[in-house]
Amino acid sequence: MRASSTSLFTITTGSGEPIYRQLVGQVRRLVAGGQLAAGDELPSVREVAAQLAVNPMTVSKAYGLLETAGVLERRRGLGMVVAQSHDKCRPLAERLAILRPTLQRAADETAQLEIDPDVALQQLGKMLKGKG
Amino acid sequence: MMLSAIEMKGVTKGFKNKPVLTDLDWSVPTGHVVGLAGRNGAGKSTLLQCALGLCNVEGGSVRLLREDPADLSDVVRAQIGYVPQESDLFEWLTATQMLAYFKTFYLRWNQAKVDALMHRWSIPANTAIRLLSGGERQRLSIVRALAHDPSLLVLDEPVASLDPAGRRDFLREVVGRAVEGTTTVVFSTHIFSDLERVAMDIALLKNGRIAVSGPLDQLSEQLRRVEGPSAVLADARWGRVLARSVDRDAQTTLIVVLDEGSEEKLETLADEGVRVQTVGLEDWFIAATQ
Repeated sequence: MRASSTSLFTITTGSGEPIYRQLVGQVRRLVAGGQLAAGDELPSVREVAAQLAVNPMTVSKAYGLLETAGVLERRRGLGMVVAQSHDKCRPLAERLAILRPTLQRAADETAQLEIDPDVALQQLGKMLKGKG
Repeated sequence: MMLSAIEMKGVTKGFKNKPVLTDLDWSVPTGHVVGLAGRNGAGKSTLLQCALGLCNVEGGSVRLLREDPADLSDVVRAQIGYVPQESDLFEWLTATQMLAYFKTFYLRWNQAKVDALMHRWSIPANTAIRLLSGGERQRLSIVRALAHDPSLLVLDEPVASLDPAGRRDFLREVVGRAVEGTTTVVFSTHIFSDLERVAMDIALLKNGRIAVSGPLDQLSEQLRRVEGPSAVLADARWGRVLARSVDRDAQTTLIVVLDEGSEEKLETLADEGVRVQTVGLEDWFIAATQ
């Protein structure tokens, strides 16, 4: 399967998180969640750069890091594909580790906004069940 | 060693006894996309013009594609594309006539690209330029600067009168050129989201000098907003403080560029009520130019 570049990535600017890190995080999440399976081809650096209007070097950097981390591998004539070792859904601990920074941010903001933790948890619960 | 597309050393320039650039050093590496930031009136346009040899410097030296900008060879001249902030594009000509005129100056002229961009950016080809809108003129100026496939592209506030869709398309066009890493792009802007998208390096012009220069990702990763009790934050030994504000409850807020490896040091302060957050470039700009 070939992932469509138009739906795969989104980035936000002004967040303080470098764009290459956002891309790395998104690929990790898609692979961990099984939306991208082993052997799936990623859109080319050029396609992603053009679609998001970002510097191709930034996309290269993200792909390079993912390759080093063993999430992606370079295939001759195909470009980047999801590595074989990522065939199945990752173990829970690993997926949790990916989610942690996002939750930490939400926790920080909850405290800053002086929202009762129980109320925030309730809201998160609703969102997780798709009623948020 | 990395070759520089633009190399400025000790450059001084002023207008009517008012110094604009003072002993300025700046190096733009070949193949990089560099965003030039600075407040209004900081002298960004003057800096770009001096780099291109369009104004004389009073002191210091400038090398433009390894030549003296005052005495450029034809070969180097043909490699440069420049989009000024305000362009006087032969008001009485139509876009087609103007481009045909410029074409005669260049050995290399990518007509296919010109036609494609004129069409894609909906620039009226057969209307006198003086009748075009601000955005249309700006797009035309960009088409002219890209037409000869320059290896150094200098853009002074290129997107000021473009709408968001136009800006996005322009950025695509500019970064598309950076794929091979052979085109150097320098652009000044106030729009940090654009800068974040396409720039590899950032340069900040402040008080007549380049105050900050380096990879954008690195800067983003080292920027933090640190909040906590003033007593704990009085002595910040883990980075360079750009801005500091203290409120009545003896709480201090800092914008800091962290030293390498000092993230852990900060984490140990969490027990003392210190909170750390990442911050965006806009906050950095405001803190750094105060």
